[in-house]
Amino acid sequence: MKKLGLLLVFILIFGLMGCAKEDTKTLRFATWDSEDTLEVQKQIAKRFEELNPGVKVQVEGYGDGYDQKIAAGFGAKNAPDVMYMWDFPTYQASLETLNSYMDSDESFKTLMNDLYPGILNYSTMDDKVLGMPVGYTSHVVYYNKSLFDKAGVAYPEEGWTWDDLREKAIALSALGDDVYGFAFSTSPDPYDFEQYYWSFGTSYLSNDGKMMDGYFNSPEAVAMMQMFSDMVKEGSALGAQDSVSNAFRGGNVAMQESGIWPLERHIESIGAENLGIIALPKAKEASSVINSSALCMAKDSKNKDLAWEFIKFYTSPEAVKMRAKIDLPVLKSVSEELNYTSDPLYKPFYDMLETAAAHTPAFLLNSQYSKISEKMLYAIEKVFVDSVNGEPVDVKAILDEAVSESAQFLE
Amino acid sequence: MAKKLGKIKLKKEIIPYLFIMPWILGFLIFTIGPLIFSLIISFFDWPIVGQPTFVGFGNYIRMFTKDKMFTHSLFITVKFAIIFVPLYMGIALGLALLLNQKIKGQSFFKTVFYLPSVISGVALSMIWIWIFDFKYGVINYLLSLIGIAGPNWLGDPKWSLIAMVIASLWGQGTMVLIFLGALREIPKDYYEASMIDGANSLQRFYKITLPLITPALLFNLIMTIIAAFQQLTLALLMTKGGPSNSTYFYAMYVYNNAFKHFEMGYASANAWIMFFIILTLSLLVFKSSSLWVYYESEVKK
Repeated sequence: MKKLGLLLVFILIFGLMGCAKEDTKTLRFATWDSEDTLEVQKQIAKRFEELNPGVKVQVEGYGDGYDQKIAAGFGAKNAPDVMYMWDFPTYQASLETLNSYMDSDESFKTLMNDLYPGILNYSTMDDKVLGMPVGYTSHVVYYNKSLFDKAGVAYPEEGWTWDDLREKAIALSALGDDVYGFAFSTSPDPYDFEQYYWSFGTSYLSNDGKMMDGYFNSPEAVAMMQMFSDMVKEGSALGAQDSVSNAFRGGNVAMQESGIWPLERHIESIGAENLGIIALPKAKEASSVINSSALCMAKDSKNKDLAWEFIKFYTSPEAVKMRAKIDLPVLKSVSEELNYTSDPLYKPFYDMLETAAAHTPAFLLNSQYSKISEKMLYAIEKVFVDSVNGEPVDVKAILDEAVSESAQFLE
Repeated sequence: MAKKLGKIKLKKEIIPYLFIMPWILGFLIFTIGPLIFSLIISFFDWPIVGQPTFVGFGNYIRMFTKDKMFTHSLFITVKFAIIFVPLYMGIALGLALLLNQKIKGQSFFKTVFYLPSVISGVALSMIWIWIFDFKYGVINYLLSLIGIAGPNWLGDPKWSLIAMVIASLWGQGTMVLIFLGALREIPKDYYEASMIDGANSLQRFYKITLPLITPALLFNLIMTIIAAFQQLTLALLMTKGGPSNSTYFYAMYVYNNAFKHFEMGYASANAWIMFFIILTLSLLVFKSSSLWVYYESEVKK
């Protein structure tokens, strides 16, 4: 008898669970975060669940294997409803265009006015908005004030030029054999590297994304690459094979270019009082590329309206503020509330953000970018590596070769 | 009656296959299946998102006529194999000969030599990155002690492939054990007889040891060639193919086409070419084996 009672209880419980399940809608959300930052994403998802009873958000933290797992998801037609995205050219065919949602949603208009202009460019292809930016970083120059003081070199000032940077770097590297005025990676991400092209008044590809000859290997590009090469050869810059940020934290590098990522650890290791941050120097102009974190919706999603609600919540001030621990807030109101627009450690990022609207990265201009960028990276790397190893470097010839090898992808 | 017998016979024939069924199923589903499927998609332009389109031999034609990275990566891989295979075999045999000496703590040395094979390739790469470090690496420190300024191992295109070879030589364990097994098989009487005839140790090695371990040599040679052509982990983790594509192995080329550019059809075509190259090399070695491999049971004509 007792057993029968127990059985009934079980049936009841399972029955109830079954009911509960039917009422909840599950939304799958994939992110590239892990550990601490994944925790932030989970908190935001939880908050969304609180605001929308009956909705369960399944946060899938893919970490480093993000690209492979997303690709497998799309390949198996089992992609998450909402996901972080950077590789728009590859996935554009599988992503929902968000324009109609944005236009039909009145409440979204105020939010759009709060969003920094220009960031949306970075998740738009052919006038189709494929992702809503929720966080960003621009690029700046970090400098170590104590090394500047030791060498008696004036801190960089706003409006400085690449020539200023080089002059300072030469003076700073006189501090010792192991000290370098500037450091950059010999194998940079081509996406980030294009900002130097912009700075010198050129770009990887023509504006329509169809021409590479005369752009990637333009005289301006050659001059810029030559400058980096010369700086390595004269010993004022370190062509770093591994982490530039580690070298900077080690105290042997006075200046470094980067996004927001190393800020926290830089403060920890060299101290906030020794850390200076300044906008990128200019040649023709000072330009930064924007790395935006954007949320996208899968075209095959069965919960598109719910997915849009979720994306909308992620773009709201509340969520953007929670995300501020990961990168920079994309909303004016949140940035001002956190004093980021006046804090000297954060302000340069916002100054650089203003340059964002002027350029569209080659990345978004050509669907064959991943293959072209491999050739470009090879050329950039070759110039730098040969410079580091003291080999003769013919910049023009190396860039020309990349152009001719990429021709097959531009047809 | 005859029918019944046939049934029993059939049953008897089936039973062994039932026992190995799990393995057969695994082989069919996880090896043969994907193999055939990859052959099929190698004739398609097969992006991970969007519709596959049939291109016939297009992928193969593109590989041989347009893609410079194909020849480049193949060249790097062959270069690697030419340096790596003889060194690897030589060192394995050397270690096996040392282990075959009657000395104290033999099993200790055996364990020590096998240890590197236990470490995962990823951990191994991390360690080697440090060992090869230009400024702080152990190798360059040791070189500096004897007054040599060590090269920028992983950063100089001239040295990076050599660095890969050195790092790859590390995991010796399995080959050494196979050689050691072969050495133990050699009957002692041969050595005793040759010693009475006045053969010195070098002669004993060339006339007795080497011919008698040729079957093990054949096996190891084929395995090493295959391993050399499939080298990926170390390069992927240590240099990502760089600097200046000097360690851009063929396996990495296939991997990048598949998982970076998401061209599954093209990558499958690449993989099939690799398969045929390895197959041809293995067959060549097998064919040549009648000339230099000696089996005790066989009678040379």
